[in-house]
Amino acid sequence: MKNRLFVTFALVALMPMIAYAGAAQKPIIDSYLAAAKAENAAFSGFSAERGKTFFLAKHDASADTPSCTTCHTADPTKAGQSRAGKEIAPMAVSKTPDRFTDAEKVEKWFTRNCQSVLGRACTAQEKGDFITFMSSL
Amino acid sequence: MNKRVSIGAFSALILGLSLALVGTGNSALPQVEPAYVKECGACHIPYPAQYLPKRSWERILGSLDKHFGENATLSPKALTPIKTYLDSHAADSAAGNPRIMRDVGVNIMPLRIVEMPFWIHIHRKQIDRHAFDNPKIKNAGNCGACHRGAANGKFGDDD
Repeated sequence: MKNRLFVTFALVALMPMIAYAGAAQKPIIDSYLAAAKAENAAFSGFSAERGKTFFLAKHDASADTPSCTTCHTADPTKAGQSRAGKEIAPMAVSKTPDRFTDAEKVEKWFTRNCQSVLGRACTAQEKGDFITFMSSL
Repeated sequence: MNKRVSIGAFSALILGLSLALVGTGNSALPQVEPAYVKECGACHIPYPAQYLPKRSWERILGSLDKHFGENATLSPKALTPIKTYLDSHAADSAAGNPRIMRDVGVNIMPLRIVEMPFWIHIHRKQIDRHAFDNPKIKNAGNCGACHRGAANGKFGDDD
């Protein structure tokens, strides 16, 4: 009884946090949404599932960085490590709430890392799916 | 006129002393360009400018799209203060240390501090070279794995 009460209490306490994770990311998601619609008329919304597949995928553009997971690890709720050995804060918004809130920073890293890992720029849909996935964890 | 100059010099001295006092309480080196720490320090420690010659920094900043296997491009706005900082604090700049440039031939273009003769000399003498094969260290460029003060520019035996 006491346990159930505690769980209910914890859930109620956590709810505003869950609602918060995502609200701060909305302006950036919205800007990629507009770009994705402009890229593809048939675009019907971002998908966390597609974002997950994209995050875990292996590519052959670079032997040093074949996947996002090379540096970020396969679990975005855990800290990653740059190739030079520096810790990278978790990508999951639930762990690092200020992720995807600074448009300039987000574009800088997508520009660099898409070139490094995929050998090309990412589409607005890929970026939006990625952020949607990271906001869902 | 002279009076004005001496008042100016005195104020500068007081300001310098107060800054030095503030500086002792702060672990980050105050003279390191903040843009350099922010941008370059995002992936690795902000390697000391005085450990590579100007020409090396120029080459590195000029090829950030292919930066040791990664794309590390910066906007021109972000790049400008970093360029100025590295150029004015490089090993062969006025702020540099001539000992760091010892045995670096004029035709040599070191792109990693670990290729610099001073670095090789110090580490060969004191460190088992297989130490760098340890997966926790990753590579010799991960200074902070052994030098705990590396991120703040401290590389002494006890740092």
